[in-house]
Amino acid sequence: MSNRLKRKLNDLGVDTASSKANESFCLIGTPLPPLEKSKDLGEFVPLWKQEVRDEQGRRRLHGAFTGGFSAGYFNSVGSKEGWTPSTFVSSRGDRAKAKAARPEDFMDEEDLQELRESRTIVDTTQEMDLTGGTAAEFAKRQGGDDHEQDGIVHALQSTLLPPPTDSVGAQILKKMGWRVGSGIGPRVSLRQRRLQDLQSSSPYGTRAAIDDIKITEEDEEGNKHTYAPRDTPVLIVERKDNAHGLGYRPGMTLHDSLGSSNQRGSGDPRISAGFGLGALNDADEDDLDVYDGDFKSARNRLAYDAQHVDDVLVLGGKTSVSRLDKRPVTSHSATFRDGSRVLSGFVLSEKPVMEERWFPLSDIPPGWKPNPQRIWEENKENIAKHETQQEPLPHEKWKASTMTAGERGTILGEAPLNAGPRSVFDYLSEKDRERLKTIAATAASGGPLAAPPFSMPRTEPHIAEAALKGFQPFTSEPAKQERYITYLRSQVSSDAPPLRALPNQRPDEFQKEVEDYAKAATIFKPVSGAMAGRFQTATHIDQGPKIHEGLHQPTTAELEALEEKRRKEEEEKLSPQAHAAKLGMYGPMTREVKSWQPARLLCKRFGLREPEMSQEDIDASSSSTKDPSFTTSEAEEAFRQAAGSNTGASSSQQTDSNGSRNLANIGLGEDETQGRDTLTYQRPAMDVFKAIFASDDEDSDDEKVDDEKPEAPADEPEAVTSNTAPLPSHSLLDDGPVDLSNFKPTFKPRTGKAKKENEEDRSKSKKDKKEKKEKKKKGKKGAMVSFDVEDADEEPSLDVFKEPPKRRRKDHKRHDDDDDGMWVEKPPPQIVKTLPVVSGQPQASPAANTADSVDGVDAGSRKGRKRAIDFL
Amino acid sequence: MAPSRGPQPPARTVHTTLSAHKGPVNVARYSKGSAKYILTGGQDRTVRLWNANLGTEIKAFSAHGYEVLSITVSNDNAKFASSGGDRSVFLWDVATATTTRRLSGHMGKIHVVEFNEDASVVASGSYDATVRLWDLRAQSRSPIQLLEDAKDTIQTLHVGSSSIITGSVDGYVRTYDLRKGELRSDFIGHPVTSLVPTQDGQTLLVTSLDNHIRLMDMSTGKALNDFTGHVNNSYRCRACFGHAEASVICGDESGMVWAWDLLDAKLINPSPPPKAHSKVITWTEHHPSDPNEIVTSSADGTAKVWRNPEQG
Repeated sequence: MSNRLKRKLNDLGVDTASSKANESFCLIGTPLPPLEKSKDLGEFVPLWKQEVRDEQGRRRLHGAFTGGFSAGYFNSVGSKEGWTPSTFVSSRGDRAKAKAARPEDFMDEEDLQELRESRTIVDTTQEMDLTGGTAAEFAKRQGGDDHEQDGIVHALQSTLLPPPTDSVGAQILKKMGWRVGSGIGPRVSLRQRRLQDLQSSSPYGTRAAIDDIKITEEDEEGNKHTYAPRDTPVLIVERKDNAHGLGYRPGMTLHDSLGSSNQRGSGDPRISAGFGLGALNDADEDDLDVYDGDFKSARNRLAYDAQHVDDVLVLGGKTSVSRLDKRPVTSHSATFRDGSRVLSGFVLSEKPVMEERWFPLSDIPPGWKPNPQRIWEENKENIAKHETQQEPLPHEKWKASTMTAGERGTILGEAPLNAGPRSVFDYLSEKDRERLKTIAATAASGGPLAAPPFSMPRTEPHIAEAALKGFQPFTSEPAKQERYITYLRSQVSSDAPPLRALPNQRPDEFQKEVEDYAKAATIFKPVSGAMAGRFQTATHIDQGPKIHEGLHQPTTAELEALEEKRRKEEEEKLSPQAHAAKLGMYGPMTREVKSWQPARLLCKRFGLREPEMSQEDIDASSSSTKDPSFTTSEAEEAFRQAAGSNTGASSSQQTDSNGSRNLANIGLGEDETQGRDTLTYQRPAMDVFKAIFASDDEDSDDEKVDDEKPEAPADEPEAVTSNTAPLPSHSLLDDGPVDLSNFKPTFKPRTGKAKKENEEDRSKSKKDKKEKKEKKKKGKKGAMVSFDVEDADEEPSLDVFKEPPKRRRKDHKRHDDDDDGMWVEKPPPQIVKTLPVVSGQPQASPAANTADSVDGVDAGSRKGRKRAIDFL
Repeated sequence: MAPSRGPQPPARTVHTTLSAHKGPVNVARYSKGSAKYILTGGQDRTVRLWNANLGTEIKAFSAHGYEVLSITVSNDNAKFASSGGDRSVFLWDVATATTTRRLSGHMGKIHVVEFNEDASVVASGSYDATVRLWDLRAQSRSPIQLLEDAKDTIQTLHVGSSSIITGSVDGYVRTYDLRKGELRSDFIGHPVTSLVPTQDGQTLLVTSLDNHIRLMDMSTGKALNDFTGHVNNSYRCRACFGHAEASVICGDESGMVWAWDLLDAKLINPSPPPKAHSKVITWTEHHPSDPNEIVTSSADGTAKVWRNPEQG
């Protein structure tokens, strides 16, 4: 602000100092764009909006609701479908081709990319270091002469080998205008450069020398330009990889180490001007080496491998290189002893890695002769000694020997363990120890710590006496009790022998014991005086059950008693059978008979007929075997006998009927009448008979003799039994064997009953005619059957007639349809079998059959036929 | 033989000793017919065939994997059956010394095996308490029938013409009557180890492990006679009838051969008898026809043929 303006403003009354007046409206430059285009990263984003991305910025996590972490497809392998295992291909045929799996095989593009990148980096560095750089370095190290010689080789190398790539630093330098071979720094004038050259050639160049630099006319032109400075050698410090002292060189003589100058005949030590000498740096060859050196021998150590060596001049000679030169540096074409080439970049070591150490043989004294005998003897001597010492010592003796470990140790010449027995005192402080010492000293001089002299505690004689009489506290320990009594006695009277300590009892223990006794005596003495009267000693001691400790071991008596008991019990348990056997009463008592069914094949093999048992019998017997209480029925027995006596055919018939009868009984249980209808319904042979005999009697008969007919069957059984004894009475009870006369009456009841059955069965209500036809057929068959039956002779016997009372009974029965049916149906088969009476009335006229009779037989007829056939 | 003379004493002189067996001899049986040969079966898993007269071993039959406990010879002497620890019955062809059939099915060692008369059926009694009846005619290898009434090991059995009698350790003698279809169980009270019926099939000689041999009436189950004096309480010692069934002979566990009169059950001299074997006599069998010859087998590894010297 100009003064004028200020003034003006002041005049106007504006405060020039105020910010408003000073406000600047100029903007300089353009503002930087915001650092990040996106919004604030630290901004709070609700959880559900947050996104997770991997290093590549891809979304890998999609949240639980959108599929979760997508590992397979996006991450590593395969396709959208996932990873599919490759099909197995046998490599047996081409094992030679098989190559080991490389890690690269399992990498995806990302990994490979990464790998590639890392490799390239490695490669470039390697190239630089190993092939190009170091080789060139070696070449340079070889010295100028080598340089000359190797010119061609070098040229070849440089052409053949890939051009060494520049390091990054070199590249940058190049970009900044640096050129290979020139130094680093601002450009200098010709004069300055000359100066540098001079300096480098003679580091001790004086002012005069500098002044000497003249710029000739030739240089006039050159003076117009500026020049790059001379290159500065890189200071390479040799790595110290040995344990020698600083400046020591292996193989250096004492003189060398002293740095005597005569060795260095060339001239005085020249100490580098540029650097101060440290305290450690003596005027030593080292220093000379490091900082001095002929220009000649100086190597140019460049940050970059110079190609054009001609005009390369380096500031400051490098002497360290000269030492390097002294070492025989093998070119990379050197070979090991075994002929294999040394890797380029490596140098063969002069010294072996490990030196073998040789110990020269000690000088054998002249006249020495080997005498193993002596050593042998020596050893033997030792052994012998040892043995004598180690004569087998029985364990007891050895144990008994009171030698302690310490003693043994001294005998063996062991140094005693200085650890020694630790005492409490070791843990006490010095002060405490001293205090204790003083205390002990006082105690020794009759202090309280001295072992108390034994004193027999006194017990008043009367107390002792009372205690003797009273409760004895040590009854459980007889020895102690004894001593207790002795003590008491000794207290009662001085004559009694006093209690003495046990041989191995320590005095203090004895003291304690005796004191115990004294106490016990005072405690357990019986109450005296007035109190004594109040107590009564128990006369009965309730000891409770005596408990035996340990395992119970019964006495022999007990065992015997137990044995006896057991024996008795066993005898009681013995079955009557076993009892009988025991008594030698063999016979029916020890015998048990069961039915047993041999296999048919077995009978065949034995050439025997099968025992005659119907299937039902077998069943019955098998069931009976299961239930021992159920034995074969009398009926069976009877039947068997009958079977035995009868002829084959007839007997077999009998078995059939009998068997079925039995079966029926079994099924019926107690109520015999139950289900009779159905059973009887199945009787077929009856029908046949009826058919036959009905025809005989003709219709008239049937109708007439309602009364007579029932009677006849009732009587039959008796007649039968009288004739043939074997017939089992009960099984045949109902089925009265039938006389001709008897048969007629049976028809009617039968028919009536048959009707009922038909109704019940609701099976077939057939037309009368049809039935009649059937009946006719039956009639014919019946006739056949009748032929079979030959003897009319037996009739008379059968004719024996019914007793009136029974008849009446039957009459009653007949009124009950069921009953009638029962007896009507069952008898016929048996009759047929046993009593072939029928023949007397052979003519069975179909017409004679009443419709009624026909009805009844319908279902049964078939079976009836079969039976008839069987008879034949 | 005339009853007046009383029963002949058993042969007391060793005729030959058959001593090729390596362990105890469990069974010794005469061949059928003229009975010139003896078959012995032993713990050494072999069956050996001997000439009884010369005492030479003719053949050894070895196929068993376990001890041989029982042998039975068919009537035609062409084959025999043996059984033992390997739970199957081996049928042998005598001539070729090969097994023609091996009948397996038992669950335990087979103590006894017997042919029927025509060797069409073989019965085997086993430790599994069953008797199996095997058909030898058919190709079927399963038993015809199983008799499972016994509650313990079947130790002995006899196959008659119309009955099968078994003796079991449960103390029962069971008679399966094929003709009657009936099983009669007689309780003896002690493990029954051997059964020998008389020729007429009316009586049965029963050896049990209570030092008794009993003569049982088969029809009633009564004990007709009781022979005692010998020691037999832990091994199977088979007793047999002497010649003409006039006496009872039994080798016992102390190695002595005892003989009793069948009728009065008195010991026949000498009593006590001399020691015949050093160990248990496991089997005593009288020659079927020769009145003077018996064979005994023993746990001492020998079988001995005894003959009366005068009969020589």
